[in-house]
Amino acid sequence: MYNRGFRCDGRMRLDYRPMEVETDVVSHASGSARLRLANTDILVGVKTEIDTPYPERPREGKIEFFVDCSANATPAFEGRGGEELGTEISNSLATAYQSSQTFDLTALCILPGQQCWKLYIDILILECGGNLFDAVSLAVKAALHNTRVPKVKGACLDGGTVDLQLSDDPYDCCRLDVSDAPCLVTLCKIGDHCVVDPTAEEETCSSGSVVIAITEKSLVTSVFKTGVGSFHPQTLIDILKVGQTIGLSVNKALRAALLEEEQQGRKKECFGFLK
Amino acid sequence: MAPDNRRLQGPESTFSYTLYIPNNRTDHNVVEQISSDERRKDGRKLNEQRRIYVKTGVVSQAKGSAYIEQSNTKVVCSVFDPREIPRKSGYSVNGELYCEFKFAPFSCIQWRSHQPDAFEKECSLILRRSLEPAVCRHEFPNFQVDVYALVLENDGSALAAAITCAALALADASVPMYDLVVAATLGVHGDKKFMDPTVEEESLCNILPPDGRSRNHGIITAAFSPAHQQMSEFAQSGAMDIDCATSSIQLLREACESIYLLSQQCLLKGVTKMLKKKQKEIKLDLSSDRIAC
Repeated sequence: MYNRGFRCDGRMRLDYRPMEVETDVVSHASGSARLRLANTDILVGVKTEIDTPYPERPREGKIEFFVDCSANATPAFEGRGGEELGTEISNSLATAYQSSQTFDLTALCILPGQQCWKLYIDILILECGGNLFDAVSLAVKAALHNTRVPKVKGACLDGGTVDLQLSDDPYDCCRLDVSDAPCLVTLCKIGDHCVVDPTAEEETCSSGSVVIAITEKSLVTSVFKTGVGSFHPQTLIDILKVGQTIGLSVNKALRAALLEEEQQGRKKECFGFLK
Repeated sequence: MAPDNRRLQGPESTFSYTLYIPNNRTDHNVVEQISSDERRKDGRKLNEQRRIYVKTGVVSQAKGSAYIEQSNTKVVCSVFDPREIPRKSGYSVNGELYCEFKFAPFSCIQWRSHQPDAFEKECSLILRRSLEPAVCRHEFPNFQVDVYALVLENDGSALAAAITCAALALADASVPMYDLVVAATLGVHGDKKFMDPTVEEESLCNILPPDGRSRNHGIITAAFSPAHQQMSEFAQSGAMDIDCATSSIQLLREACESIYLLSQQCLLKGVTKMLKKKQKEIKLDLSSDRIAC
């Protein structure tokens, strides 16, 4: 059936399952997003804290990813079971966001060499229905889009200690520039063809998949392979090209959805976890 | 090294003194050197690899081991006998490969902690993913083979050297394999592609090129098994356009094919040495029998 371009649930090989994204679901976080990709449910919270920058990079802020595979998702994740998968996903995100072209860390600097913002991006996997990499990266992009960093009105160095003055208005914040943030696209190899957005069943019957991180400007920021299979170089080239086109359309769709949500403003209906 | 689970890791308060050395940034020097006559700092052309030295059977206590030297990058890898998978109750039809990649604390310019950090954990994952397709895992069901790679000195492309070394160590340990895996690294900076970058070139490839050139930059590590013409791992970081990534596949493939010949020769040498040793032992046994009676 895969050779004729159809899949078990009636999709074509390059079709995604329906996605729902909602931002600003957690009130205590500086930014949050919840993404549902059919059975996969991801919740991302971004917290901003003040930290000292690395000594060799005094003008840059910090960003840290942590993926928690909660035991809610599958019994296999209880205790330390999900730790390996969690580290793999957080490492892949860290590599994808490493380049300054994707996320400009200098925007997080407060006082060079003294204080900077540190973004703790915490990802909770609530339900696992296949295609975790894509769902996580889209949710992270949405949460970063929603993040509001408080504006620093003044910073003075008072005998070695830094004294910061934040603005009085709690709504006076800066937004982050996520136009170049990448989205991961998983291309799963089943038989002779590759499929996009595999379900959990499709993932188990594939030999390997290639995950590629694409930005809106069509830059590849990370490529890696998961699973135990290997690829012929020509297959790899074809997979990368397909991944690029898919990545661009996914990025565009997410951008459109986020802008639409923002335009609804105060009138937006909050569904949260009720839907 | 075993992770210390009982102690709370406090924040590190030390940093390298090299930050205070004036004119420490040598990045522009690296780029300037190239633009003069298309040769890098060590005299290599852009697509030239460094000389490689490999040897198997270096660790006596391990089932199989190998040592690789790529100019100043030194990696030693040991493989141990299959053992039961710890913390596992069910039966698995395929065996598992447990890989650990570690930088020795003195191997890099900055001190590295004893506990594996996120980068080392990622490299361990990449190492495992490169070796898994080549190992006949069905030959040791429900068992796990341990592969430990230790970087003694890091002068660039340590991960690729570790992958090549680990494959040789597995072969030396008589673990059934479909093919030897070899790996190579490519650094991209602007429009220049450095094959087998040194540690200076690698740090250059991690930062954005200055304005006026193409905005590509990054490091690609690829593992290849030439007998089956299969790419067992392709790990890219940085930011580049798709054409740069796809054209580098061909360059890496050619580099891997040349390393493959070396790997094969090394294995051949190791086997010949072992056979000669066995022959000598048999001769000695026969002569000692004559002396006894």
